[in-house]
Amino acid sequence: MKFRRKLFSYKHPYGSGSDGLFLNAVRENALFHYRHCAEYHKILDGLNFGETELLSEKPLSEYLAKLPFIPTLLFKRRRMFSMPNRRIFIKATSSGTSGRFSEIGFDAGGLLCGLKMVLKIGAQRKLFSPIPCRYIVMGYQPHRSNRTAITKTAFGATFFTPCISRKYILKFKDGKYSLDFDGIIDTVQKYAKKHVPVRFMGFPAYTFFLLKEMERRGIFVNLPKRSKILLGGGWKQFYTEQTDKQTFYRLAEKVLGIADKDIIEFFGAVEHPIMYTDCVKHHFHIPVYSRVVIRSCDDFSMMKNGEVGLVNLITPMVRATPILSVMTDDLGILHDGEECGCGIKTPYFEIIGRVAPDSIKTCAAGASEILNETVTALKGERV
Amino acid sequence: MIIAQGKIYPSEQQDKILAEADGHINETLAVKTLRAETVISAIDKLGCEIEKGVFDDRINALPVDNPAHYKAIAAEMLSRRFLEYKLETELGGFINESRPLPKNAVKARIMPLGVIFHIAAGNMDGLPAFSLAEGLLTGNVNILKLPQADNGLSIEIIAKLIEYEPELADFIYVFDTPSSDVHAMRKMAALSDGIAVWGGDEAVSAVRALAPVGVKLIEWGHKLSFAYISGYSDKERELSELAAHIAATKGLLCSSCQVIYIDTERDGDLEDFCAEFLPILEREVGRRGSVSIGGRAHLSLLRYTDMLEDILGRTPVPRVYKGKNCSLTIGTDSELELSDMLCSVLVKKLPRREILPVLRRKKNYLQTAGLICHDGERAAISDILARSGVVRIMTAGAMSAYFAGEAHDGEYPLRRYTRIVNTE
Repeated sequence: MKFRRKLFSYKHPYGSGSDGLFLNAVRENALFHYRHCAEYHKILDGLNFGETELLSEKPLSEYLAKLPFIPTLLFKRRRMFSMPNRRIFIKATSSGTSGRFSEIGFDAGGLLCGLKMVLKIGAQRKLFSPIPCRYIVMGYQPHRSNRTAITKTAFGATFFTPCISRKYILKFKDGKYSLDFDGIIDTVQKYAKKHVPVRFMGFPAYTFFLLKEMERRGIFVNLPKRSKILLGGGWKQFYTEQTDKQTFYRLAEKVLGIADKDIIEFFGAVEHPIMYTDCVKHHFHIPVYSRVVIRSCDDFSMMKNGEVGLVNLITPMVRATPILSVMTDDLGILHDGEECGCGIKTPYFEIIGRVAPDSIKTCAAGASEILNETVTALKGERV
Repeated sequence: MIIAQGKIYPSEQQDKILAEADGHINETLAVKTLRAETVISAIDKLGCEIEKGVFDDRINALPVDNPAHYKAIAAEMLSRRFLEYKLETELGGFINESRPLPKNAVKARIMPLGVIFHIAAGNMDGLPAFSLAEGLLTGNVNILKLPQADNGLSIEIIAKLIEYEPELADFIYVFDTPSSDVHAMRKMAALSDGIAVWGGDEAVSAVRALAPVGVKLIEWGHKLSFAYISGYSDKERELSELAAHIAATKGLLCSSCQVIYIDTERDGDLEDFCAEFLPILEREVGRRGSVSIGGRAHLSLLRYTDMLEDILGRTPVPRVYKGKNCSLTIGTDSELELSDMLCSVLVKKLPRREILPVLRRKKNYLQTAGLICHDGERAAISDILARSGVVRIMTAGAMSAYFAGEAHDGEYPLRRYTRIVNTE
């Protein structure tokens, strides 16, 4: 696994010239899964991509175009591991709507790579600071019954600075989670009178609702300098609408006194544990640790930059589960890095929606777009 | 955007309007009566204007295959004739006021429920306005929460209705609140006597969670529909009509065919059917233009995942007949279930004697059966389907058709939006 180690030790997270190393790390990782995961072996054989193809010398983009990918849907249907249980350090699950979720194992080496990545990418976006902070987590309080990656990630993010306190909007008490907006609003008002920076971390939908609720009650504060809002876990219905994000930024400034530049959004998935943070222009650039391929919605061929297609995410970070190349059910576009103008040169991607919906406003599907957010918001009361 | 008492306000005013709504609504309930004639007159005017082509630009922009057909249906459903028939069917004769009262009986009359909170899904353009219209026809004050996906059509329709009949203004409140704003949703629910919710199981359970105890829940949940084939009267025509139905509704409506059941015990019959039906389906799908990019992506991903499942040795392996932008999958059981949609339908065995036990397992989801059979057997099979819980038995081509006097999911909606008051 020397190439993986080298890749995750790459000196600049958005540096150039990593293609050769990335290809070697992908090949090494693919070969590992091929030899250790019966399902991955069968899939590759079934798609005529055996050891010869795995080891073939091709330019990176050509190799990635041919490398078989596994849809996240398959991870939701089947558990696949490339290591015995005892060597799997932790297992995390996706949040999983409609009862189906992925379970992904992580090896110690992969987690170490992840730590290096977090340190480097976090430093870029000035997430780390020796100045202690108070954290307000707009998500779940960790509990052993909750194995979702989003809970672990949010908790992990509270270690970016020394932590004075952690408040959770979804508190675990008497065997269930309950939602505590009032408690959080009181806390925010109390913190505003002190000098310690405050950091919000969690679901955009909850944070948005908190801002709106404070505005509604006429509560406007100016949080101490260096306070930030960190967002992760998806925008759900806001997801594609830039205007909603603009409203969010404006409201954060108005209600909490936190400026646009101090709002940082994360993108990630349990099936692709790369930490994408948005740049100062709020674009998700691709770090050296991963590649994003946009594929045709009809035949999965590679699309050009600027064209819409299915988002295929590739990283050789993990050995415990064959998540080397996963196909999400997101539709997205890849842009040339230069188009952004923030200074980072690697391409950036934009998620524009999920598969199906524009015509599936379905009645029959039970995939009710409409009240999903309420379900999320009420989950605390119903878990 | 918000509509309250005939005026349009920006969304930011929501909390103020909601805070004042209680008082305004009470005033309306105390002294105003909305006559059905006022509502019919407004809706009929809208229908006439649609027919005249005033809204053609708006209708042509809808993501539907055949805007002219859509327009004709809308004009018909909004006509005075249709609405009067609906009122008469659903509420007429419900209480016969001319009948002499027996001894000890007390007079009864139909009154509006009071305030109805409509939570409409975005599965059909104009559905939110339709739900509201039903609330108005029964004289209720209506609070409508628009779906996130609403394209502005509903607001436009509602504003027109108020323009035609300003009396409606006090009975209409429309909000574009996102469902995540639980505070506002609770407030709207608290103002209401009934909540009409259109949506899937998740939507319905979310509404149950936020509804005050005792409020009447009027749930229009997601339903499943299927075709049942037991011989033919005119095979070519019937199969073409079924294919046209699948191509036109793409499996997206409650009344869309998800499973084609064949009255047989033999697997071979399913294969013969698929081989014969696939080209017909392909032809009808081809006639109706392309599927959206998201839809194509959805199907490609499902097929690819299925292919990987096959490689991994899924047992039993379903047999799939793939056509261009459509497919038929032979099911390994007889369960009624959701297909992959977008013109990808399941084909399953269902011998006649098993209809009832199989369908009863999905009793809360049954809606339309598209029946294809010999003319002579139609009544007998219809009877079994009806006894199983199916609420619409149509010819296969008319599975999603609208007709005058139509019940909705086995009920007359107007009855659910009213109450009976006994007065001594």
